[in-house]
Order: sequence, then structure tokens, then C-alpha cells
Amino acid sequence: MNDRIVFDDVSKFYGEVLGVNRVTLSLPPGVTTLVGPNGSGKTTLMNLLTGLVSPSNGHISVLGLAPSETTEFFRMVGYCTQFDSFPRGLTGWEFIVDSLLLHGISHDQAAKLALESIERVRLGDAAARRIASYSKGMRQKIRLAQAIAHHPRVLVLDEPLNGLDPMARAESLALFEELGRQGMHLLISSHILEEVDRISDRVVLITGGYLIAVGNIHQVRQEVREKPMEVIIRCNNPELLASRMFAINHCVEARLHPDGKGVFLRTGDVDQFYSILNDIAAEGTIKVETVAPADDDANAIYQYLIGANGSTS
Amino acid sequence: MSIYKHSYRAYTGRLTPAWYRIFVLARYGFAEVWSSKITVALFTFSLLPSVLFLVGIYLANNPLARALIGMQNAKLAAIDARFFFVILQIHCWLAMVLSAWIAPRLISFDLADNALPILLSRPVSRLGYVSGKFIALLSSLSAVTWVPCLLLFCYQSYSSALPWAGQNLQIAVGLFAGAMIWIAFLSMLGLAISSWVKWRMVATGVIFAAMFIPAGVGAIVSGVLRTKWGILLNLPFTMSVLWQRLLGAPPSIIGLRIVIPTAPIVMSLLLAALICGAMLNARIRAREVVRG
Repeated sequence: MNDRIVFDDVSKFYGEVLGVNRVTLSLPPGVTTLVGPNGSGKTTLMNLLTGLVSPSNGHISVLGLAPSETTEFFRMVGYCTQFDSFPRGLTGWEFIVDSLLLHGISHDQAAKLALESIERVRLGDAAARRIASYSKGMRQKIRLAQAIAHHPRVLVLDEPLNGLDPMARAESLALFEELGRQGMHLLISSHILEEVDRISDRVVLITGGYLIAVGNIHQVRQEVREKPMEVIIRCNNPELLASRMFAINHCVEARLHPDGKGVFLRTGDVDQFYSILNDIAAEGTIKVETVAPADDDANAIYQYLIGANGSTS
Repeated sequence: MSIYKHSYRAYTGRLTPAWYRIFVLARYGFAEVWSSKITVALFTFSLLPSVLFLVGIYLANNPLARALIGMQNAKLAAIDARFFFVILQIHCWLAMVLSAWIAPRLISFDLADNALPILLSRPVSRLGYVSGKFIALLSSLSAVTWVPCLLLFCYQSYSSALPWAGQNLQIAVGLFAGAMIWIAFLSMLGLAISSWVKWRMVATGVIFAAMFIPAGVGAIVSGVLRTKWGILLNLPFTMSVLWQRLLGAPPSIIGLRIVIPTAPIVMSLLLAALICGAMLNARIRAREVVRG
């Protein structure tokens, strides 16, 4: 079976309103972060992927299956929507079991899988209570539990970290990371870029319904050549290093770290920059401890490619 | 790439048939419907006429009981198609009141809560979703229409000294068919209007309006165009004609002297049901309204 999620020239229009336009993607297993401003088409992309809306043009295939093959398709896909919405009057346990019954799983198996998923999101004690009495974080968790309960191979999570406290957020991220490592496809849209960034294998940037960039965060950052790259260097003499780099290399900005033990340098030619830095380190006058990119995360890429106001730059 | 081992396994166990899953949604529907005390009160009220008719049948078949309460010379209604026509009519109109209350509870909540995406991201189609709600509504309405009517028919068959049931089988068939046509139509209408009107109380009002305003429009059409066909918009009249014919009751029981063939009545009901279907198709969508 094909192990990719494929969007082949997919467009979606709601009447005259553009949802997404000519999206072509091929996503391997792992964690993919969907990044874009409000109204950029992230949810449309997720709804297309989960078969909830049909594309106006193009084709979608999830692990080789088309959304029209409903039973097999939905067996592969778990969706956690961004909306805090549930059928009324249900307990957490009933919600998960019913969700599994809707997937066509027998009562016995449904009870077993429900228990497993509820324990996985650490909601065991509250499962017998009505969802209406849950806190926002607990509601987010029960939604996540229903999305993973039937063992999907593709998990689509729309703003899954909203409303979670730091501890629950860390637990959720650990779970996503674990699932991604096990070979599951995770497509996550989130505004909490700093945290999702840590577990993300690749990023999909979208704005105004158009794809802006797709790929590994570091690769995408390197391709954004018009924005000088920022590198942090921890060393014993940051002032001297900054002056040396300015003298030799086309550094455009230098900023001392607040603790005085490092310097942020911004360069337009990162390859030349690293080469010169190697030479300086080899001289031995400056003792370099660590060198790391400071702005090749999803947040920085978002700022560079989309901008704070959501318009492409 | 952070994939170290492909140890994740999708569920590969046995699956239940697709039709079975619809009953999960029907169960949600029942839970929604019967969680209201007003539903229980309306349901109880809708069954009261059955008790009165039961007493009527008992007295009609028991001269001794009539004598005991001093009614030996009283002229009771004959238990025939005319009698069951009245029973069916009363129960069907009470069912309409009940459906106007419960139909909005079945769909409005899901739409207001944006619960459709979470339900429809399962192997359940939009048709399956509506079918689940339809089953919940149809079953609830059955309990106050053809079920008590047929129980009364059975009681009359049991009480009558004559071989009554065999000679009046058309009444039983008419009771079942007439009630089923009516409640199926009511269910479609109720669900369609509830899918468009967000506020439940308003939806209840609109269901009543959808039943009676076309009757007024039909009267105007008949008056202005000097035709009898405007009466097809008068649902209370057309249903009465249909029930009368299904039960084999005399036409005089309806009152109006206009004669409309059965086929146009059935066609107008089918057309109305198709419009309801189109309304549901346009509104029951998994699409989330907010793009982001």
C-alpha cells in the first residue's frame, strides 16, 4: 500500500470564495505542521484530507485510498476538529465507544479500544463524567482520544494544543512525537509554533489558499535566501568574535546574548559564514562552545514568508 | 526524518455492517428526544385519546357494562371505518404537535454545536446521519399513531361478538398505511425545517406555519384562478381524503364536496417530501463554517 498522503493539483472553492488553490503535496509518514494565518485554508485542507469536503478540482489520495472508499478510508483517518463540539448528554466513555461503533467496530472491541485511548490521554478518572462538565483541556483530550481510538494511520489535528495547560501540552506533544516515530502520519495545525516545532518533521506553509513552502524546516529556512540567517554562537569572547566576523564576512547584524556569553550574528551567506567561523575557531584565540541556527524554526519561517499580518512577503 | 521504526498498526479487526452504524445515531436521537420533560408530557397527552376510545369500544361491545352505568338506551357510535377514521385523525394531528416539538431537538443541537464534522468524519454518510435522526423521529411518532390505532383495532376484534376483524381488514391496513405516510412526511418536514432554522422554538413555529400557511395560499389560488387544484396545498384536507379512502370510510365524513383523485394527492406529498430532501441535502454538510 502507498504510504503517502497525496494532494494532486487540488482546489476547493466555496461558491466564489477560494478555499485552497492548486495544492500539490506528497506527505510521507511523520509529523507535518500546517502553518498559516486565520482564513489561510488550513481547515479546508484538513477537511479535504479527511473527506469532509470534496475538492472542486484535483484528486486526493490517503495511503492509496480515495475519500469515496468511505469504510476503508475513515478507518485509516482520525480527525480532531478545532471546534469544541460534542453530541449532547454523553459521558467521555460513551463518546469514545459510540465513536468506535460508528467506525463499525464491535461492542467488545470498542470497549477495549476506548479504554486504551482514554488511558493514553490520561483521562481515566473523568471518563464516566458527562463531557459537559469537563474543563476545556479535558474536552480537548477527549477529542484527541476519539481521534486515536480506532488506531488510524493518519491523524489530523486541528489546533490540538488550544486550551491545554503546559503539563497537558507537553504530554500531548510527547504523544504526537511517539505516534510520528511509530510511522503514523500526523498533520497538525497549531498557532503554538514554538512547541509544535520541536516535534515537526516538515512544515507546510499556506496563506490565502496558496501553498507558500513545503519541506523540512531547516531546508525551507535555507531556501529563504533573501532573509539573512541568524546564528547563535556561544564562546568565551563574543565581542571579539563579532568584530572578526564583521571584518571578514558580510554580517549584517550582531547582537550580544543577554548573559554576555554568546553572540547572535545575522549573515546573508551562511556557507561562507561557517567556513570563516571554522578558521577562527582553528586559530584558537576564541574558544567556540556551540554554534546553532537561531531562526530556522517554524515561527521564523512564518514571519519571513507570510509576515505578521498574514500577507506573503 | 524522525521515523525510527514502523511499529504502528492500524485496527484490522472485524467491522459491523454499514446499516448497523445508523442505529448509533438513532440512539443519539432518542436520547435527545426523551431528555425533555415536555416530550414526555406531550407523549402522554397524545395517548389519552386512545384510552377514551378504548372505553368507547368496551362499552359498545358490552351491554351489561352499559346497563351498569345507566346507558342501556344510549346510542353509541358504531365501531366501523368512520369510528377509526376519527381515531386516526386525532392521533395523527397530535403526532404533528409532538413532531413540531421533537424534530428541532434532533438536528438543531448538532448544527448549533458544530457536531457534524466530528460525526461525519466516520464511515457514516450524510444520508446515514439523516436516516438515524429519521428513525428516531419515526419511531417516536409511531408510538402515538399507528401502534395505538392498531391496538384499538385488535381490541375491537377481540371484543366483538361477530367475526369482525376479517370483514374489516381494510381498516387495519388503512390505519397502518395512513399513519405511516403521515408520520414519514412529518419526519421529513420536521428535519428539513430544523436544519434551516437555528432556534428550536422558532423551528417549532415554522413547522406549524409550513402546515397551515400553504392551505391559505391554496384557497387564494383556487379563488383567483377559479380552480379546484389549489386545495392540493391544503394538507389537512388532502390527508383527510387520503385517510378516508385508505380506511374505506364514507366520503361524507370529510365535509367538503370537492373531489380530488388520489394520484395528485400522492404526487403533491411526494413533491413536498422531495423539497424537504433537497433542503436537508443543502444544509446537512460536514463543512465547518470557519476557515482557518
